[in-house]
Amino acid sequence: MSIETHHGEAGEHTEATHIQLPAPTFWPMIFAFGITLLFAGLVTFWAVGVVGAIIAFRSAVGWWDNVIPHEEHEELPIDPAHRPAPILVEDRSVVRVQVGEQGHRMRIPIEVHPYSAGIVGGLIGGAAMAILACLYGLVTQHSIWYPVNLLAGVVVPGLGEASLQQLRQFNGLAFVAALIGHGILSALVGIVYAAIMPMFPKYAPLWAGILVPLFWSGLVATSLSILNPALNDRISWPWFVVCQLAFGLVGGYVIARSTNIQTMQSLPLAQRAALHFPTDDTKSER
Amino acid sequence: MASIDYPLERPDIEDTGWHFAENLYRWIATVDHKKLGLMYIVSALIFLCVAGVMAVVIRLQLAFPNGHVVDPDTYDRLFTMHGTTMVFLVGMPIVAGLSNYLVPLMIGARDMAFPRLNSFGFWIFLFGGLLLYYSYIGGSGLSGAGSAPDVGWFAYAPLTTKSFSRGHSVDYWALGVLVSGFGSIASAINVIATTISLRCPGMTLSKMPMFVWVMLVDAWLILIALPPLSAGQIMLLLDRYLGANFFNTQHGGSAVLWQHIFWIFGHPEVYILIFPAFAILSELVPIFSRKPLFGRPAMVGAVVAIGFISLGVWAHHMFAVGMTSWSNTFFAASSMLVGIPTGIKIFNWTATMYGGRIRLLTPMLFCCAFLLQFLVAGLTGIMLAVAPFDWQLHDSYFVVAHFHFTLAGGLVTALFGGFYYWYPKVAGRMYNETLAKWHFWLFIIGFNLTFIPLHFAGTLGMPRRIYTYAPGRGWEIWNQLASLGALMQAAAVTLFAWNVIYSAIKGEPAGDDPWDAWTLEWGTTSPPPEYNFEKLPVVRSSRPLWDLKHPNDPDWKYE
Amino acid sequence: MAEENVLTAGALTLEQDWKMPDRGTVGIIFLIITETALFSIFVAAYLIYIGKSLVGPYPKDVLELPILATICLLSSSGTIVFAEHALEKGHLGQFKLWWIVTICLGLEFLTATGLEWRKLIVHDHLTISTNLFGTTFYSLVGLHASHVTVGMVFLLLVLAVTLFRFPIETQKRRVKFLSWYWHFVDAVWVVVFTVVYIIGR
Ligand SMILES: [Cu+2]
Repeated sequence: MSIETHHGEAGEHTEATHIQLPAPTFWPMIFAFGITLLFAGLVTFWAVGVVGAIIAFRSAVGWWDNVIPHEEHEELPIDPAHRPAPILVEDRSVVRVQVGEQGHRMRIPIEVHPYSAGIVGGLIGGAAMAILACLYGLVTQHSIWYPVNLLAGVVVPGLGEASLQQLRQFNGLAFVAALIGHGILSALVGIVYAAIMPMFPKYAPLWAGILVPLFWSGLVATSLSILNPALNDRISWPWFVVCQLAFGLVGGYVIARSTNIQTMQSLPLAQRAALHFPTDDTKSER
Repeated sequence: MASIDYPLERPDIEDTGWHFAENLYRWIATVDHKKLGLMYIVSALIFLCVAGVMAVVIRLQLAFPNGHVVDPDTYDRLFTMHGTTMVFLVGMPIVAGLSNYLVPLMIGARDMAFPRLNSFGFWIFLFGGLLLYYSYIGGSGLSGAGSAPDVGWFAYAPLTTKSFSRGHSVDYWALGVLVSGFGSIASAINVIATTISLRCPGMTLSKMPMFVWVMLVDAWLILIALPPLSAGQIMLLLDRYLGANFFNTQHGGSAVLWQHIFWIFGHPEVYILIFPAFAILSELVPIFSRKPLFGRPAMVGAVVAIGFISLGVWAHHMFAVGMTSWSNTFFAASSMLVGIPTGIKIFNWTATMYGGRIRLLTPMLFCCAFLLQFLVAGLTGIMLAVAPFDWQLHDSYFVVAHFHFTLAGGLVTALFGGFYYWYPKVAGRMYNETLAKWHFWLFIIGFNLTFIPLHFAGTLGMPRRIYTYAPGRGWEIWNQLASLGALMQAAAVTLFAWNVIYSAIKGEPAGDDPWDAWTLEWGTTSPPPEYNFEKLPVVRSSRPLWDLKHPNDPDWKYE
Repeated sequence: MAEENVLTAGALTLEQDWKMPDRGTVGIIFLIITETALFSIFVAAYLIYIGKSLVGPYPKDVLELPILATICLLSSSGTIVFAEHALEKGHLGQFKLWWIVTICLGLEFLTATGLEWRKLIVHDHLTISTNLFGTTFYSLVGLHASHVTVGMVFLLLVLAVTLFRFPIETQKRRVKFLSWYWHFVDAVWVVVFTVVYIIGR
């Protein structure tokens, strides 16, 4: 390779008349031929291999001479008749879309809610849901423990076969199980809620607070007979949906009030992967 | 900017007459990356035609039940040589040829890093291929002289051991492929050293064209994946010549070891083969959609991810061997994992087209066909990665249809697109667009006519490599359609060959930059001078020619 | 126009600061990587076939630890570094001395391997076709020995041209690459030694 000190645009001219390039040589080709014959000797006749070895040796010497002590070069004249056409300058700019730009259909969250807001929102939403559920118990069965026992039926054995009377009574084990289960589930759903909320296109609380609880209710409706047969037999779907909506709206309200934190989405991938750090003099990558 | 003394009346391609000896010397002794790249590609195309003729004969044999176009021995050699040729003498030189011709041009270099090694690589590939084909004359198999390898392209032990394959046909397979493999290794080292060391000023890795990125990872895969095959072939030769026991089950050797070694090579190999298609798409789709490549960093990440994940999935070719269920689970899961980066690529090409001003010229048509066909190939690939599904359809025509969708529907389709795209750069003349469109439609219809029915034949139980079949199993119609499609593909490739030759002589002069493109190779003449660029370029973005064409709105302001 | 100037100025500094890795360095590193891939398959085959031989002789009966040869080969990695340093500083005499020492150590290793093989073949009747141990032993150790031989050929070439007053100081780069290759061969021996003579015995 020639050491080139002149650089310019693609297709730009130099004052030089010649350019250094590696000189042609047929020794690599002969060497390849010799090596092939060497191997071909294995399938044909040993003498073929011997001839191959001799050829390979001779061409190796030729190759050596070509590169040692210095790689041979040839000076190639620059042909002024074959210069590239000048590049046509087009005075037209294109619209560049910025990440997160208004009116652009990109749904990458630039800012997200903190996970803590998700947990808090989930717990408060869960509380709202519990209050409504207890109200439902009070109204229909005159006992706030009725929904608690039903919920605990997922984990506490025996509750599935319990009579209506038993379900109305306070049951310590069921209460603790229901409290823990409901709390954990609410917090987890809250975290998911906080994570996906910035991705909804518009009216995020509406989507998150109403539509998703409805989807969720549908999912529960199809799978409840397997998860909790006791609940499935006795559930009141209108109340269930109302409870879900309460969770969605209250939790969503709490999460939406939190202070957003910046994601690194507006930074280029190389920076997010910590492969590239922007310095002051270089512009940051896309 | 330097003064412009561009000659308006450019003398046509040189008319110095044809001096045979001088030209012969010029091509034999050349160390120029463009000449070597062309020689790689032309030899690959010649081998493609040879293996294509074999495929047509195979399809004629299978067109009707109880066919007798060729005898069973010849048939075995045909499918073995068809597969071996397509993989080692078409796919591999295409990888080397494309990266040879285009990588130095795209990164603004004068030549490859090791020009003489490059010349050696090409010639040893070619001689290796000729050695393999010499078996048709000089080989001796069970049935005497003139016996090409007949053990299938993956040459499973113990069929390849001395006791089952007498004579030299298997040795020809091992030696021919081994020798031509040296060429692939040489060119892979060359590509890596070139991209790492010879990029022009300003071309950081993040500004390197996507094509070069893909070919860089491809070269890496070759370096990691090809030595296992060479190791396996050395073991096989030791077994056959010196009586070693690697694959000799009589002495406690394991035939499954060969399968592992072969597929440790074999699976990365399919990615080695498909990468040129990825590289081509990554250049063509943006140019013909008039938009920069969507999600460039993700594309780079995806291709690098494939470069590593694909090294750990090989045993999905061996579910039927009877591995432990842990192995089956691992390899099924890892195989599906490769679907993720591949999916990223498909999505990003589609997203590049989305909202673009698409020009549906032949190269772009081939890209669109690639996207659809490669998607089908990927989906059947995921199906076959499910071990129980694979147990049902292993070694059936479903598998044949699957990998022909990846290689013919994927690689070859994208290659045709790439050939048309760079043809004006290489020949200095434009191809004939009408002929090219005919080629496109004939090929795409023919291809789908061949390989969609073969899925059904495979699902109905037709085994791979079967010589012929009895009527009444429901296979006839699918095989007839497939054979009809094969003839259409043959006609299409003939049109392509005619277009290439005819346009080289009679085509319209193409100009330096017929596509209004953005990478450096279009900034020099068509065909480029031996030194590529008078001044080595300086680049500031991943689309250097865009910057030059739009000085008011260059990319480097945004990148 | 002011912007244009800024642009060109940027390009000029870019051009001066533009340093790329040496192509030879990259080439030799990736050659070593691909060789590693080749060796790893033979090593894997050796490990898989440990204890799978159906007939003797078995490793524990016939293999002796090649301590001396190992010491020679590993120390040759040190002497070649000394030679390289001497060449770097322009002490040609020292360079020749260390280079010859390296060659002697390498030759000792090859001789030891040859003697070991003769003993195994003539005395213990272990050939490549005897059993799986013979198959994997001769192929793995042989593959390594062939790499040592290739390295030795180049070492001898360098010595020969140096003795014939070839200006070897013009070839520092290539000598460095040769020494890297030699280090690689040594490193492979560490693996082969561990696998064949320690784990395999
Ligand atoms: Cu695979």
